[in-house]
Amino acid sequence: MKEQLRMYKLLAAASLRSRMQYKFNFWFSTIMAAVINVVEFAMLAVILAKFGHIKGWSLEEAGYLYAVLTLSKAIYRTLASDVHHLEHYLVSGDLDNLLLRPIPILLGLMSQNVSFRIGEVLQGMTVLILCMRELFQHGQITWTAIPYTVVIVLSGALLLFAIGLLTASLGFWLTRIEELQTITEDAARTAVQYPVSIYPKWMQGMLLTAIPVAFANYVPSLYLLRGEGGIGLLIASPVVAACLFAAGLLLWRRGLMRYQSTGT
Amino acid sequence: MLFLTLARKTYRRNLQYRGAHMVHNLASAIFGFIYVSIWVGIGQSQSLGTYGLNGMISYVAFNQVSLWVVSFLTNGLGIEQSVRTGQIATDLMRPVHFFYQLMCREWGQIAYQLLYKSIPIYALYLLVLPLHVPSSMITFLWTAVALALAAYISICINYLIGAAALWTTESRWLYWVNYAFSMLLSGFLIPVEWLPGWLRVLSHASFYPFLHYIPSKLYLGLEDASSLLGSAGWCALLTGLCLFVTSRMRRKVEVHGG
Repeated sequence: MKEQLRMYKLLAAASLRSRMQYKFNFWFSTIMAAVINVVEFAMLAVILAKFGHIKGWSLEEAGYLYAVLTLSKAIYRTLASDVHHLEHYLVSGDLDNLLLRPIPILLGLMSQNVSFRIGEVLQGMTVLILCMRELFQHGQITWTAIPYTVVIVLSGALLLFAIGLLTASLGFWLTRIEELQTITEDAARTAVQYPVSIYPKWMQGMLLTAIPVAFANYVPSLYLLRGEGGIGLLIASPVVAACLFAAGLLLWRRGLMRYQSTGT
Repeated sequence: MLFLTLARKTYRRNLQYRGAHMVHNLASAIFGFIYVSIWVGIGQSQSLGTYGLNGMISYVAFNQVSLWVVSFLTNGLGIEQSVRTGQIATDLMRPVHFFYQLMCREWGQIAYQLLYKSIPIYALYLLVLPLHVPSSMITFLWTAVALALAAYISICINYLIGAAALWTTESRWLYWVNYAFSMLLSGFLIPVEWLPGWLRVLSHASFYPFLHYIPSKLYLGLEDASSLLGSAGWCALLTGLCLFVTSRMRRKVEVHGG
């Protein structure tokens, strides 16, 4: 295991180095990613600044939901960028290369095209700090919120990874998964950027069960920010994330058995 | 004639993928539904100005539908790609004006997206949302004109973005900057009059409102046809700019060996 992690670090560093050969592109795309994120959040901020709250969620609370999710996504995409792009490997047969490496295939895949999501991290941290400061001043949260937030961000990252892994694994059966990913990863994640209570009941149900991405921010925040439910809500998010990730690994293994590579 | 041939080619090429596009439509419809839900959430406790709750639902839903006609065009009209491959040299040599050539192709793309993306999503929204439907044919007509002009503005902008690749080799980031700005300034999610002061000024000074805000307000019957003059003005201005850039481009082409 230790040996494998060392290999992962080596490969990830190599991938990062190759990316840094194009320094201008690297920094530019980083800045652009940040700009797009800022604009996305600005839309929510403009609406809430004008109308005060959305279904009882203030700007600080909604901002907290948004920031936590942004950070989780940044961690997931930094560590496992190409899990999201598995389709390319399946269609081109590039997965063959990874099969030959002396490390687990998933770890090999994760070490490809490593990119630090600096833009998203910066933006997420800024929004998070601003929102939490406001919440402190209103006495809505105490110092314990900081370690809890770390737990929420990390389990959110694991949860997003798990959902990504499950979807990607289906690729071994379906080959074309980009459209499916748009629904399970992008649309679902976009949905929980906003307080889940704004959606009709069936959609809330979907986000809690079928694609349980609400556990990444909304469910633990109910307890942390508004004292609803019990601490169980907070514990639920790492538990759900771990279970889903285990399921993802299982499906990944089964899928890999079916991998047939491509013809020439 | 050339116009139709080029446009038809792009249209046909897209037709091959209509199955996958239908799944994608579902995702797109969900995105729109998320945006609608935001306004429903807001509208439950406060009044939504001249629009009212139903008006805002229709406004946002209509913007999501028109996204495929006015916003999601080919990234930089594909110029960046042809700069990279060197194809640009051949394209510029053809006996047809470069801008005209690419514009014709893009209209094929837009026609396809209108038929296989916008209309299915619109139909779905008609079923699941209390969507406002204009009662007079003339409103439909003006909305269609506004969308066509918006699509043309977007073609010009993407042409300029693509053309930047001749000087910077990479212009994908410009596409995303444009996308980000258009989200905020075009009134896609938030009607322009509700933007904070300086953003509102910025928006009105740009062509962005003519992409989403004006067509949607026409559709809702909250704007009269005279605002189309603004669209037409921007179209003329941007056409001039595109022609100017093309003349510059012809002198700028460098072909790298490899």
